[in-house]
Amino acid sequence: MAAISLENLTKRYGDVSANDGITLAVEEGEIFGYLGPNGAGKTTTIRQLLGLIKPTDGTATVLGADIRNRKALTEVKADLGYLPDDLGFDERLTGNQALDYFARMRGDEQREELLELFHPPLEKKIETYSAGNRRMLGIVQAFMHDPELVIMDEPTAGLDPLKQDRLHQFLAEETASGTTIFFSSHILSEVQRVCDRVGIIREGQLVALEDIEKLLDRSGKHVWLHLREDVIESEFVTEEMINVEITDNAIQFTYTGDYNSLLSHLTSYEIDDIEISNPQLDDIFKHYYSEEYTEDS
Amino acid sequence: MTAILRIESRNRVRSSVILTGVFVITSLFFLAVFPAMRDGAEAIEEAFPEYMIGLFGFEELHTIEGFLGGYVYPFIWVIFGGIYFAYAGAGMIASDIEHRRMDLLLSNPVSRESVIIQSVASLWVPLVVLNLGMAITLFGGVQLVDETLDPVLLSMVHLLSVPYFLVCAGIGLVLSVSVKRVGTAQVGAIGLVFMSWLIEGLSEMGETYEWLGTATPHRYYDSTEILVHEEYALGDAVILMVTFLVLVTAAVAIFVRRDI
Repeated sequence: MAAISLENLTKRYGDVSANDGITLAVEEGEIFGYLGPNGAGKTTTIRQLLGLIKPTDGTATVLGADIRNRKALTEVKADLGYLPDDLGFDERLTGNQALDYFARMRGDEQREELLELFHPPLEKKIETYSAGNRRMLGIVQAFMHDPELVIMDEPTAGLDPLKQDRLHQFLAEETASGTTIFFSSHILSEVQRVCDRVGIIREGQLVALEDIEKLLDRSGKHVWLHLREDVIESEFVTEEMINVEITDNAIQFTYTGDYNSLLSHLTSYEIDDIEISNPQLDDIFKHYYSEEYTEDS
Repeated sequence: MTAILRIESRNRVRSSVILTGVFVITSLFFLAVFPAMRDGAEAIEEAFPEYMIGLFGFEELHTIEGFLGGYVYPFIWVIFGGIYFAYAGAGMIASDIEHRRMDLLLSNPVSRESVIIQSVASLWVPLVVLNLGMAITLFGGVQLVDETLDPVLLSMVHLLSVPYFLVCAGIGLVLSVSVKRVGTAQVGAIGLVFMSWLIEGLSEMGETYEWLGTATPHRYYDSTEILVHEEYALGDAVILMVTFLVLVTAAVAIFVRRDI
């Protein structure tokens, strides 16, 4: 059984479709990356899965419960963890009091283990917390009852790189023991590092759903070069280079071919400076989905 | 599942204690002027225009019962107490939604019905603290001005005010689940409760508009009737309780259907 299954899930606000017929399934024990730029509709999907907002059309199941069935959905929430992007704690409580509060509703079997990894100042009131401490408290409350499924919305926002790594490692351990993670993010590199599979959402529509490896193969590398002399386009550019932009002796492009052939191609030029990086998510959208997207619509 | 009730009750302690303190001090100020009032009540009653007498329900101002029932309770209890409960009711759901606490709360295995019911139940804190604080203060306070007060009458004034306060809270609650911003709900609730107090008071001036007052909660709680005439309008209390239940039911019905 899929931990989460979306069938034609649609949410419209007037003429705007925040989610437009999304269909996908998240299998038990996988880390599913839900990727898209800000405002693409990721949070809308999550808030529908939690029953906070109702779909205009279509439906979804969470741990077997149809989201339109309020009673069933409430019951499965005992096995659900949620880390919202905007963490709304009761500011007047201390970290400990907030955790006690949630523990009364759904238990806290692994609270102590989590607090060894993520340790916000539990004795202090939450109103004094930094963004990082808030996020850590959020992570602890999301996982402390050892849930079967955890839905995370931009989970590393505010965390320092060390804690981000710790979270990524922790997620890997959790899924190894059978927990399913629904990981929403706008950061491609993060999703790449953590997730098994990825669904990409743009303007409310699911534009890709595939293994992370395949996505990376398709997305190529972003290359930026500063040559000693002006770039001669007809000579330099090969068909593996797309989205080419040339200004005098600077050139940038997305490279979709074999890396070895790129490197041997570059040896025949005098290079002053070079940068090879993962492409921005926006570039991927632009170059791998815009045509399909336009044709489909 | 009482986690919400526990935390909401805890959160209400502070405001309840502060408000009780304010009410106690105000009541003592009122009591301090009673000796002067006792002597010059007739002149005072004559001095007030008729609509003021109708609005507050002045009667027998020279007796301690008339003074409390017509002066202290209508002012402190009915107006400001009512406003407090309307404000508290309006802050319940809207505030949690506006500050995104509701998202996190509803990710727990707790239904929306339960959230409302536990939040409403937490009103036991101000109800108990305010009633005890005021009753004890006035019972002791009247002795300072050489008067005595029947504890049964005093208890009834407080007991019968509970349904009235609950209706005020219910009005706030319905607004709270209906509007987007907590500030709107709170201002709306205060305005409604104050307006209905005004309407009820003015409607008693003439028979033409008397019916208007029947639609206000203030018609069904009269401290002068209890203290001066020793009449307990239990039927009116039932009407208020039923109204309160209707308001809570309506709030639940709205809340379970709406997007958050």
